[in-house]
Amino acid sequence: MQALEYFAIAWSDPALIGLVALGTFAGIYIGAIPGLSVTMAASILISFTFSWDVNEALCLMVGIYMGGVYGGSRTAILLNIPGAPSAIATALDGYPLAQKGEAGAAIGLSTTMSFVGGAIGIAVLAVAAPAVSEFALTFQPRDYMLLAILGILLVGSLSGESLAKGVVAGALGMVIGTVGLDPLTAQERFTFGVVELWNGISFIAVMIGLFGVSEALAQLHHLDLPKVKQNVGRIVPGWGAVRKYLPLSLQTSSIGVIIGALPGAGGDIAALMAYDHAKRVTKTPEVPFGQGAREGLVAPETANNAAVGGAFIPMLTLGIPGDAVTAIIIGALYIHGLNPGPMLMISQPQMFWFIVGALSLANIFMLIFGLTGIRLFARIVEMPRGILIPLILLLSTIGAYAVNNALTDVYWMLGFGVLGYFMKEYGYQVGPVVLGVILSRMIDENWRRAIISEQGSLAGFFAEMLSSPLSLALFASVVLIVLGQTPLWPKITGAFRRKPG
Amino acid sequence: MAEQRRKRPGEATFAILMLLVGAFLTWQSLAIEGEMTLSSPAAFPLAASVMMTFAAGIVVAKTLRMPVAAKGLAANARMLGAQILPLRIVIFAGMIAAFAGLLGPLGFLPASFLFLFAAIQFLWRRHPAKTLLLTLVALVFAYGLFRLAFQVVLPEGIVPEREIIAWVESLFAGEN
Repeated sequence: MQALEYFAIAWSDPALIGLVALGTFAGIYIGAIPGLSVTMAASILISFTFSWDVNEALCLMVGIYMGGVYGGSRTAILLNIPGAPSAIATALDGYPLAQKGEAGAAIGLSTTMSFVGGAIGIAVLAVAAPAVSEFALTFQPRDYMLLAILGILLVGSLSGESLAKGVVAGALGMVIGTVGLDPLTAQERFTFGVVELWNGISFIAVMIGLFGVSEALAQLHHLDLPKVKQNVGRIVPGWGAVRKYLPLSLQTSSIGVIIGALPGAGGDIAALMAYDHAKRVTKTPEVPFGQGAREGLVAPETANNAAVGGAFIPMLTLGIPGDAVTAIIIGALYIHGLNPGPMLMISQPQMFWFIVGALSLANIFMLIFGLTGIRLFARIVEMPRGILIPLILLLSTIGAYAVNNALTDVYWMLGFGVLGYFMKEYGYQVGPVVLGVILSRMIDENWRRAIISEQGSLAGFFAEMLSSPLSLALFASVVLIVLGQTPLWPKITGAFRRKPG
Repeated sequence: MAEQRRKRPGEATFAILMLLVGAFLTWQSLAIEGEMTLSSPAAFPLAASVMMTFAAGIVVAKTLRMPVAAKGLAANARMLGAQILPLRIVIFAGMIAAFAGLLGPLGFLPASFLFLFAAIQFLWRRHPAKTLLLTLVALVFAYGLFRLAFQVVLPEGIVPEREIIAWVESLFAGEN
């Protein structure tokens, strides 16, 4: 009963409802504009909310996240340019549908299915998170350390060009996260005698630089792309269409939630896996996949929105972000004095149910805004990049400055923006850097706690790890991910395959 | 195979730079004061920077094995200019750097005005009057939203904003 009360907080305060609506609206449009990703929007906008009440800040963030994941699908369908990485799979069949003049139907179906996926993701979050957090209370420091490492490795290996590049990025992020005074002993680390570095490098500046500035610079390559216009007809889908794809959407939503809940893996990977699943289970599509199959639209759209609820599970129960946006939200929670993890669920259950409430509200707003306002949408999306990019830079600068009122943060943002640009050009992912910065402290502290409890004995540490099923499973996953990317892997699997023969 | 793609101009240099950064960070971790034990403040930074150096070493080895983008220094430089660092990006990055540099001495309003006007004119290439109008609209919107509505503190510089805001407020107060 208490839970329901907390759940209803966001629903009963007009100001909070307004903020969720504003966030969702902004998320949809920002997500839809190619070059403006939801991660970029969240990282820039979050800096303005630090002085707000935590509930208000969360409402805006949750809305941006939900809307942004969905928004990317529109430009994927209309222009064949995914507005966000999570909409890459949507373009595969969405654009062919638009070419056939069925853009309206495609948008309508993707909106409704995103709503279904979002709702399932939230439901799973509400049911699973309390159980997971109870289980998480039994986690040892080494388990947290392993989970955090697993998260960084997953991001590095699943989305990048190679695991080695992912590790370079993740390790760089971890080192950046240690800059400043050591939280346990106040020893200086990487400060080079500069007092300004004692508090470390502002992770907001790192984030805005890597996600905002570098992306804006990269967009300059595409300044001269011609504009494409599309006519959109009726978009509210019929009940028959929704019912027809419901079974598939339930399956792909489950994929979305599970992938979203894996630390580090988010909507983009969930969408691609769901698309692949739909391809395998749909034996006789009306139209072949890749040429406008509706199943190919339903699968990624349900999965990426279901991944939103999923990504909140490890974030709220373990303090480990499910993807880049939840990494940003964790950073915001820290600044608001909250410590995401199993204790948050116990000491402040209202926070958890409040987030679930705000997410459900955002999901409804997504449906409403998604099925309306198509004309306004066309105007905003067609805004020339020559105007858009300077505006992004202006916002990024205000955002980086606003957190500490320090120009140094603006310089950090610029520096990381340039670094991020080169990283992207040469096939390195910037996501692991940000995840590394966020998780650095968790790994550092838990490692030291674990090794101190073993009186500094590495053998004791490993013996404990191998005797706990959970630690063993986590350790095995870390080893498998690393091995899976080395030339040794084909040999190992080859040997296993040969044996039975 | 992914490895068989051509090297992008400057890719090997960047990979080597990352390796050097990793090595430098490793050296700096060793320089962190205190006794070096598994639980000392230096342990984790050292592990992370060694990991970075090791992975960067693998990337360097892989990158050097890739087929070259172009033969000769001049051809490589030309490709670098065309693919990675076109003049437009270099100039725009310079504009952002100038903006960041001017933000302190000039303050938010004049620096942002100069940056927006120059950047939009440079990228959008329409009549300067159009750019000017757009710049002013964007600036009024950004200032109104962030400075006035969100109460974000912005560098003040040469424009006595607080006095102006106080003066405007006193006008309204006088009317009541």
